[in-house]
Amino acid sequence: MKLAVFLIFMIFFKVPLLWGQAKQAIEVFPSTPFYQYIIYENLAIFWIAIIGLIVIIRMKLREIERVQKLGLDKTDHRPGVPLPLEDGENGGDREGF
Amino acid sequence: MNCQKLKDWFDERYDTSALKKFAGEKLVPSHRHDLWYYTGGIIVFLFSIQFITGMMLAFYYVPHADFAHKSIIEIVTKLNMGWFFRSLHHWGSQLTIFFLFVHLFAVLLLKSYRKPRELLWFSGFILLGIAVFFGLSGYLLLWDERAFAAVRVATGGSGALPIVGPFIKAFLRGGIDVTGETLTRFYAFHVSILPLATVFLMVLHVLLVQVHGMSVPLSLKEKNLPQTPFFPNVVYKDMAVWLVVLGVTVTIATLFPPEIGQKADPLAPTPENIKPEWYFLFLFQTLKLFPGEILGLNGETIAILLITAGIFALFILPLLDRKSRLGEKSTLFTLIGVVYLLYFLIMTLIGYLS
Amino acid sequence: MKLDYSLVTRRTFLNTLFGGWLLAFLSGSVVALLRFAFPTLGKEPDFVVLKADDFMNIPINSTKPFAWGGKVGLFFRKDERNMVALKGVCTHMDCNVAYKPEERKFYCPCHKGWFDENGKNIKGPPPKPLEIFEFTVEGDKLIVARKGVKVELPKA
Repeated sequence: MKLAVFLIFMIFFKVPLLWGQAKQAIEVFPSTPFYQYIIYENLAIFWIAIIGLIVIIRMKLREIERVQKLGLDKTDHRPGVPLPLEDGENGGDREGF
Repeated sequence: MNCQKLKDWFDERYDTSALKKFAGEKLVPSHRHDLWYYTGGIIVFLFSIQFITGMMLAFYYVPHADFAHKSIIEIVTKLNMGWFFRSLHHWGSQLTIFFLFVHLFAVLLLKSYRKPRELLWFSGFILLGIAVFFGLSGYLLLWDERAFAAVRVATGGSGALPIVGPFIKAFLRGGIDVTGETLTRFYAFHVSILPLATVFLMVLHVLLVQVHGMSVPLSLKEKNLPQTPFFPNVVYKDMAVWLVVLGVTVTIATLFPPEIGQKADPLAPTPENIKPEWYFLFLFQTLKLFPGEILGLNGETIAILLITAGIFALFILPLLDRKSRLGEKSTLFTLIGVVYLLYFLIMTLIGYLS
Repeated sequence: MKLDYSLVTRRTFLNTLFGGWLLAFLSGSVVALLRFAFPTLGKEPDFVVLKADDFMNIPINSTKPFAWGGKVGLFFRKDERNMVALKGVCTHMDCNVAYKPEERKFYCPCHKGWFDENGKNIKGPPPKPLEIFEFTVEGDKLIVARKGVKVELPKA
């Protein structure tokens, strides 16, 4: 699997790096395939991390909006009026939140 | 991470109830144009990236004409991930200016500049000027042929302004021509003067936004718009947007690291096809439109005067747009805004393609 | 075995997941920044390339210093034909050593350590001999390398 990825990268990413082949081209990017592979692999991991964070943020937002819709985020609880129940709750212990 | 003890320690000494109340109550209207609200935050985020990468590069960059070029080559070839942070700084600056223009035109067309937010427009406009100067000064620090020629042209152009022109030119260049003095001066601007001015103006700008709240387009003014709490909803959305911007910037920086040309030689002929950075292109295309002489007057001077007038008119736009000041629909100024936008886009495109 | 109630609240779960992931992401970024800010901490080169003319004809029984990373290397001409390249850094506490031609010994003034003309520690606190390099002459270049390092010159 890694070999396939490596080969794909070699084909697709080597081309733009052939630009700038002036007589004394200053190496603005590592030229050895070894380092290039590491860099692109790290870029992929970076994107996975970002997408993971965005997914988690979306989960958090959905939960926050759910709580807000139920009015559970307001701290002014009027005594005698019960708070709306969440799914699965039976009016018992609410200390979790 | 609750750190209740830490919070108690702080609360026993400082009364933050007013701040907490404000934060808890801050609302952001949601409507079909609310996507543009995120452009300001993106700019703050990108500026932070620039500050961080800039400070790191400043550890190694030598701001002397004899060593500048070499120090950048050392950064790029010898240091761990030096090429990456330089590339990130370069692309970060391009994206910052790009989003600045997006933010400018969004505010212009949505008329967020209207009363009572005029000061926001003025401070923002100055911030744009500062950012453009950031780009120009940073560009010279490479001290390669292209940068050298580009700065010669840019500072030379400023000299064409009547009366104040030669003074501005001499002030920017630190002399008659672009020399090592110019490099030192631009370095002082780039790492000290401009960052301080930016921080000061940005704090002012963001504070004013808190005071006024988010502006709502005139077409939606009457409706009762749903409001989203800023904490925590919009904060998380901002974070997600910033993460995407970070990802895009890092990706572009990795895939397209900028070149380093040959070291600048003041005595060498200007390289062919010299072009300024893309955000100057519309200015230079405009200059090219004007013939050498109009009615006996220098064509270039007239062009620069007209450009200055156009930019000045844009700067004082909130004062000119009476209808929006009264809260009325102002189609004339929407049209003017569209004209400015189209002119900018078309001239930039032509400049890029020629 | 199905639980009657969840062990953690949704809030705890989400906040832990978010915080943990964010921490990992940020620490990765910070490590990258730090590696840039702390360059080659104490790293020494594998080899250095010098101009042969500058070193091969120094007076007999004398040394000439050269840069070895941030440290000093000494090129030592023992007699007409015998030459040694070594690291001029004392193995005790990293002070720079000096060659004393009258006694044919290297001296470290910090704690009065002595090394003989072969770099062997003979007197004072230094625990090990001075590090000896290998060197070759290729054309007009003098290449000094750490022992065992295969030198590959980049295409100049």
